[in-house]
Amino acid sequence: MDTSLSAPAKATARRRLGPQQLNIIGLIAAIVILAILLSILAPHFGSLRNAYSILQSAADVGIIAWAGTLVIVAGEIDISVGPAVAFWSVMLAEMAGPWKLGLPLALVLTLVGGGLVGAFAGWLRARFGVPSFVVTLGLWLALRGQAEFMTNALPVPIRDNAFLDFIGGALPGGFPVSALVMLVLFVVYLFIARRTSFGRSVYAVGGNARAAMLSGIKVARVRILVFLGTGLLAAVVGIITAGRLTGGNATAADGLEFDVIAAIVVGGTSLSGGRGSMLGTLLGVIFIALIGNGLVLMGVNPFFQHVVSGIVIVGAVLINLLLSRRASPDSV
Amino acid sequence: MNTPGTASVVDVRGVSKRYANVQALVDVDFEVAPGEVRALLGKNGAGKSTLIRMLSGAELPDRGEVVLDGVPLGTAGVEGARRLGVRTVYQELSLVGSMTIAENMFMGRWLRSARGVDYRAMAEQTAAALRRLDIDLDPGTPVSELGIADQQMVEIARSLRDDLKVLILDEPTSSLAAGEVHRVLDTVNQIASEGVAVIYVSHRLDEIRRVAATASVMRDGRLVETAPVTELSTQDVVRMMLGTAAQEVSRVARPPRADLPVTVCVRGLAVEPKLQSVDLDLRAGEVLGLAGILGSGRTELLQAVAGVVAPSGGSVVIDGEDIAGRGVRVAIGKGIGLTPENRKEDGIFPLLGIDENMVVSDWKAVGRLGVLSPRAISSAAVSLMRRLSVKAASSHVEIATLSGGNQQKVVLARWLHARSRVLLLDEPTRGVDVEAKAQLYALVRELAATGCSVVFVSSELEELPAVCDRVLVLRGGRLVQEITAPDVATDALLAAAMSDD
Repeated sequence: MDTSLSAPAKATARRRLGPQQLNIIGLIAAIVILAILLSILAPHFGSLRNAYSILQSAADVGIIAWAGTLVIVAGEIDISVGPAVAFWSVMLAEMAGPWKLGLPLALVLTLVGGGLVGAFAGWLRARFGVPSFVVTLGLWLALRGQAEFMTNALPVPIRDNAFLDFIGGALPGGFPVSALVMLVLFVVYLFIARRTSFGRSVYAVGGNARAAMLSGIKVARVRILVFLGTGLLAAVVGIITAGRLTGGNATAADGLEFDVIAAIVVGGTSLSGGRGSMLGTLLGVIFIALIGNGLVLMGVNPFFQHVVSGIVIVGAVLINLLLSRRASPDSV
Repeated sequence: MNTPGTASVVDVRGVSKRYANVQALVDVDFEVAPGEVRALLGKNGAGKSTLIRMLSGAELPDRGEVVLDGVPLGTAGVEGARRLGVRTVYQELSLVGSMTIAENMFMGRWLRSARGVDYRAMAEQTAAALRRLDIDLDPGTPVSELGIADQQMVEIARSLRDDLKVLILDEPTSSLAAGEVHRVLDTVNQIASEGVAVIYVSHRLDEIRRVAATASVMRDGRLVETAPVTELSTQDVVRMMLGTAAQEVSRVARPPRADLPVTVCVRGLAVEPKLQSVDLDLRAGEVLGLAGILGSGRTELLQAVAGVVAPSGGSVVIDGEDIAGRGVRVAIGKGIGLTPENRKEDGIFPLLGIDENMVVSDWKAVGRLGVLSPRAISSAAVSLMRRLSVKAASSHVEIATLSGGNQQKVVLARWLHARSRVLLLDEPTRGVDVEAKAQLYALVRELAATGCSVVFVSSELEELPAVCDRVLVLRGGRLVQEITAPDVATDALLAAAMSDD
C-alpha cells in the first residue's frame, strides 16, 4: 500500500492548487496590489471613511451576488436585478406612503413580492424551458418600465422613519449597516452553498442536469429556488436603497446587474454552470468595488471609468482562464 | 468471390495495424468489387472499425497497403480517400437539424450565384439526388422534422454526390425501428445497382441476407472468412465470430432458485416504436441479463422501468403498485436505481467529488432538515469506496479524474447509498478495464446474494454467462428467448440476438 501512495499524493498536491484555488490566490494578490497602488496614487484612499465608502458600494453588489452565484452555478443567469432593486424601492415607498399600508406591512410585502417575482421567473424557466436570459431580460424591461410608469421617473419620498434611517445609514463609528447585512448574508449563503442539500443540488444541476434528474433531484424546484433567491435579495437591496435615499427611485441601481455578474465571474464562477464559490464572489465584489472607488479617487473622467472597468473585468477573467488551463492541461 | 473480369475497387493487401498494446489488424486481405454489397461482421474489438478507418484514410497501416480503384491510397489521408470516391456514414448522424435537407446536402459547400447562396440550384440538385434513390422527400424540409430513417437516408444521399465509388455504412439501421429498416435496405440496393461498392457493417443477419451477396467475418484483428451469404448459417457466423476460444472462464453454475419472491412485475410494456409488449418478472437475489444488439430495445426497456421514459403501454408493478409512466422519483422511491449507458453524459457530475457523486441520490441519509453533515457524507463515501474498492486519493477527488471503471463503481455506489433493491445496469462495463470488469462482476454477484435484483445489460455477450442467473434475449423490441444458468452460453446468446427466423 505504501508504495502506491506516492502517485495519489502527487495528485492531491496538484489538486490543492486547482483552478479554483489558483483563482482565489490570484484575486487576493490582485486586490493587495490594487490597494497598494491606490494608496500611493490616491491620497485619501487609505482613510477609514473611504474604506466605509468602499464597503457601502460593495454592499449593493455583494448582497445580490451571493444569490446570483447560485443562479450562475445552476447554469442560469439573472439580469433583472438592477431594475428589481429600483422597482421594489418604489413599491416600498408607494405602499408605505400613498397606499397607506404602514411601513411594517410594506416591508413584508416587498420581501414577499421580490421572492415571488424571482420564483415566477424560475418557474417560466423550469416549467417551459424559456431561457433564463430571455425571462430576466423581459423582467429587466418590465420592472424598470413599471417603476418609471408609476412615478414618472420622479423620486417617491418616504416619511422619516427610524428603521429606514438605520438600514440605509451607518453604525456609530461609521460602519455602513448595508455592509453588515452583506456580511451576515454572506455567511448565510456560504452555509447554503456548502452545507445544505439544496446548495449541493444547485451544483449538481449546474454540473449535469440530466444526471441530476436521473439521480432523483427535483431539478425544477432547484431552478425555481435559485431565482427566488435573487428576487428576494434584490428586494432587500431595494429596501436599503429606499432607506439611503429616504424614498423610492425608479432610476436607482442603474447597471447593477452587470456589476453583480462581473463580480461573480471575476470570482471564478463558470458561466456554463457547476463551478463557483462564495469566497470567490466575495473577492470579486471587493475587487470591483476597489476599482470603482479608485477610479473616482483618481479623478478619472466618469465616462472613461466604464472603459477601464470593462477592460479590467475582461482581463481578469482572461487571466483566470489561462491560469486554470495551465493548472489542468489535460482538461479542455 | 468477385465477379470474374471485374477489378476490385477496394483492395486491401496484407494490412496490419498495432495500437499501443493491441494488435488491431493482422495481415488482412480484403477486396470488394464495384456493385457488390459486402457485409462486415465481428464482435466489438474484432477490427471492423480499424479496417473502416484504414479505408477512409483516417489511419495508416503499419504494413501492407490500401488500393482504391487501382490507386494506392498511401498517406493521402481522409481527403485523399474522399477524392478516390470513398464515403463513410457512421452511426451518429452528422446533420444539422434546423437546416433543410438541401442545405445539409451541401453542408459547408453551399452553391453560390452572383446573389449569394443559390437555394434554387441546391434544391434542384437535391431533388435529383433523392429521386435517384427513390426517396420521396421535399428538399426544403428541415431535417429535424424527419424521422430517423429519413435522416439516415439524407445522410446516405449526401454521400452520393460527386463520384462515389465506395460507400461504407456503419450499423446504419441500429437506431431504426423494425418497420423502417426496409427503406434503408432498398436505398442500399439501389446504390449498389449503380456500380458502387458498399461495405455494410451490421449484426442483423436478416438484413444482411436481404442486402448483401457476400459476408466477411472478422475476429481478433484477422479476416476469418469471406463467403456468399447464402452459404452461411447463423451457427456458422456465430462460430466464426467467437472462434474456439469462446468458452468462458467461469460461468454461473447453479440454476436460479424458483422460490425467490418477485420484486418487479412487468406486463405488456411497450415504448413505441422501439419496444413491443414485454413481460418479465424480476426476482429478489437474481441477476437477470438482457442480451440484444444495438437498437434491440434494451435501453428503452430499462428506461421505461426506471421511469425515465413514459411507456406507450403496459405496467411496471412493484410492491403491488403500478409505477409505469410516473417518473424517475417514484421509481427511485420504490427502490429502483438505474446506471445509465452513457456514463459521461448521464451518469456523473464531473466537477463534484466522489463523495457527493455517491450521496446525491439521498441527501436525507447524510443530514437533517436539509442541512448536511460533512462527517456523515465522508463516512458514507469512505465506506462505499472501500466496499466497491474505488481507487482514489480521497473521497473529495473530482470524479472526472477517475478511470472509467472507478467512475462506474461510484455511479453504482450512488444506488447502494440510496438502498435501492432493484439495480438496472445499462452497459456497466463499457469503457472499463479488465480488472475493474472482474470487480464489477463480483460486486454484482455479491449484491444479488444480499437480496438485490440486478438487471445487467451488455452488448459484450461473453460477460453475461459469468454474471447472470438468467438471460433474456431482445430482438427487434421483443423478448425472443430465455436461457437459464447453467446453460447460458455466449454462442447461444449471439445466435439468438442476431438470428433471422
